Amino acid sequence: MADEEKPRPVIPKGEPYIKTDVISPTFMMQYDACTRCGECDKWCPVLDAKDQDRKYSPMNKISRFREFMGQSYGLKAKLFGPKKLDEDDIQDFSDAFFHCSTCGVCASVCPAGINTVDMYEATRQQLVMRDNGPYGKTVMFPKLIGEYRNPYMKDQKQRLDWIPDDVEIAEEADVAYFAGCTAGFNQQVLGVATARVLNHLNVPFIYLGEEETCCSSAIIRTGQPHKGDVPYINAKHNVEALEARGVKKVMFACAGCYRVATIDWPKQLGRKPNFEVVHVADLLADLIQQGKIEWKKSFDNKIITYHDPCHLGRHCGVYETPRVVLDNLPGLKFVEMDRIKELQRCCGAGGGVKAGISDLALDIASERIRDAQAINADILSSCCPFCRRNIGDGRDNVYDQAGSTNFDLRDNPENAMQVEDMIVLVAELMGLSTKIKAQEDEDKAAGVEAEGPKHLIDL
Amino acid sequence: MSDFSYYSGIPSFYMMIGIAMIAILIFLLGMYLNMQKWGGGSASHFLKIFLKSINHEKLGHHKRQSLISTIILDILLQRRILRRSPFRWVMHMLIFVGWIGMFILSMVFAVFEVLHEIGIGQFELVDIRSSLDFGNEVLGYMLLIGLFIAIVRRLAISDVVKRTQMFDWVLVLGTLIITITGFMAEGFRPDAITGAWTFLGSDVALAETFALFHVAISLLFCIAYIPFSKYMHMLAAPMVILVNGGGE
Repeated sequence: MADEEKPRPVIPKGEPYIKTDVISPTFMMQYDACTRCGECDKWCPVLDAKDQDRKYSPMNKISRFREFMGQSYGLKAKLFGPKKLDEDDIQDFSDAFFHCSTCGVCASVCPAGINTVDMYEATRQQLVMRDNGPYGKTVMFPKLIGEYRNPYMKDQKQRLDWIPDDVEIAEEADVAYFAGCTAGFNQQVLGVATARVLNHLNVPFIYLGEEETCCSSAIIRTGQPHKGDVPYINAKHNVEALEARGVKKVMFACAGCYRVATIDWPKQLGRKPNFEVVHVADLLADLIQQGKIEWKKSFDNKIITYHDPCHLGRHCGVYETPRVVLDNLPGLKFVEMDRIKELQRCCGAGGGVKAGISDLALDIASERIRDAQAINADILSSCCPFCRRNIGDGRDNVYDQAGSTNFDLRDNPENAMQVEDMIVLVAELMGLSTKIKAQEDEDKAAGVEAEGPKHLIDL
Repeated sequence: MSDFSYYSGIPSFYMMIGIAMIAILIFLLGMYLNMQKWGGGSASHFLKIFLKSINHEKLGHHKRQSLISTIILDILLQRRILRRSPFRWVMHMLIFVGWIGMFILSMVFAVFEVLHEIGIGQFELVDIRSSLDFGNEVLGYMLLIGLFIAIVRRLAISDVVKRTQMFDWVLVLGTLIITITGFMAEGFRPDAITGAWTFLGSDVALAETFALFHVAISLLFCIAYIPFSKYMHMLAAPMVILVNGGGE
């Protein structure tokens, strides 16, 4: 973000250099509650990836902002006027501040219980408002999502493209499936797998299709909700559209959308939606515990581990149901990694890091892969398309670093760790196809007969 | 001084009251400025939002626990620190209990001093002081041991050394100076029960000087300085815990 050509803001004499109008009074207070114990630093994935460079320490970020506030609003500022702050210093601080995946592990371990995620998001917004942020190309999010209603610049009509012919979508049902943009456009296997699993389990569901708009998570996380009011507009649109269809439950397979529906929609709208927000893992765990799921395929004695998505786990408290599901998948031994649940190590994709600072996201994801390697995991599963994508990239990065010395992988590429979303594994083990519509159409055109995944055995 | 009229040993009761008033005024001014800073220019706006937040329903999974649980488990017993580091919890509890305990006992005695001064109640100050002696002694040692651990940590544990700033040292060393001068003021003063002079000898002038120094810097550092220093966490952290609903 540092841009030497950028015009400097003109601050009228006597005015503080950093305003605080979008930072809630209770968040402002939290900056003064930090005891500088350094517990956050011990757990921060960004600080690890940045080789303990103090600039990226969460504790130091809080201290720096508190100093800015003291210089602008403290006793001396009251007596002699706000101190003139160095714009380069503010920009340097802002850049460090955006080097954060807002995973919230610092909040989990903070002895003072500081709600760092919400506090950071509000502070980011304040920095964006004075043109010190966001970082990198995340600046495009409000424009893209505002204009296209999704971040992938796709036509809304294409939201239906992922739906294979065999998937049945009801006109009316108690359940709605909110696919989200990534499952709808970018990782369609997730949408296909979820829809087929719901069909297979006789859970009728509706889908908003063209009416569905982006949850706007990326805009909120990067401190840009004020730009065009896109998150509010989209929240209002989605909630009203879902309510108009009379659904009782809205089901999510994407951790990012689930977080927004659980926490951000009520905040944006000032009320709770008239439907229950559920994650597909909750439904699956419930059906597994009732013995209502029949598996058709099995893995061949593999080790599986689970990566808690920050948005699902730490932010919303869904820790157990994905574990129940994975622990019950046939032919798999479930083993936990180091750092799980509320102390989980973030994959590095959140908070605009994947889009804005991709090398940092990759370094953090590589660490998570090393956690999985330490327990000899064959499969690393998660419940979030962004974790899936970023940890997959991390795996490739770790293998690339091992390079030609990794003879096992060179000779047996099938031994590479599989990074896969829980819903895809569930679909495969139920014997359902996870091929996306485009693939199926290609197969049909080429006259290729559909066949199940080769790494599974029949039960 | 021979009848140890004043717990603090200060020759003039009014001098102590004067310093206390100044300290409290500075404290209140500092708190007002802080609340004004937090409230975007309005202390009353901050207070309104703060009070509303304590009962506000939380979104996500961190459900708000009962106020009483939050106060006992999270603020008084500080279980979030215990969960992360039992060693740090012991250190922090020694300082926290020592500091708060001595503050409360000092306030209790100050009330008796005021009552005595204006002639309310039938009691001897020396008896009140004697009854508080044991508590003060124990709490004083707790504070001293806690501070000793804190200083050793900041000097010997490499990652703590790296992140330590003057902001942290001012708090630890300031509290240490107050604690040591407290012990010295006690040492120069005749024993409350036996009337015998204690371990530092029998110098009335020194006793008075140390007592005055101790009380003055205690009031100025431990009360007036709170809103302007790291001491602020003593108030802000519990307030944050209340706002965020407590819990592990």
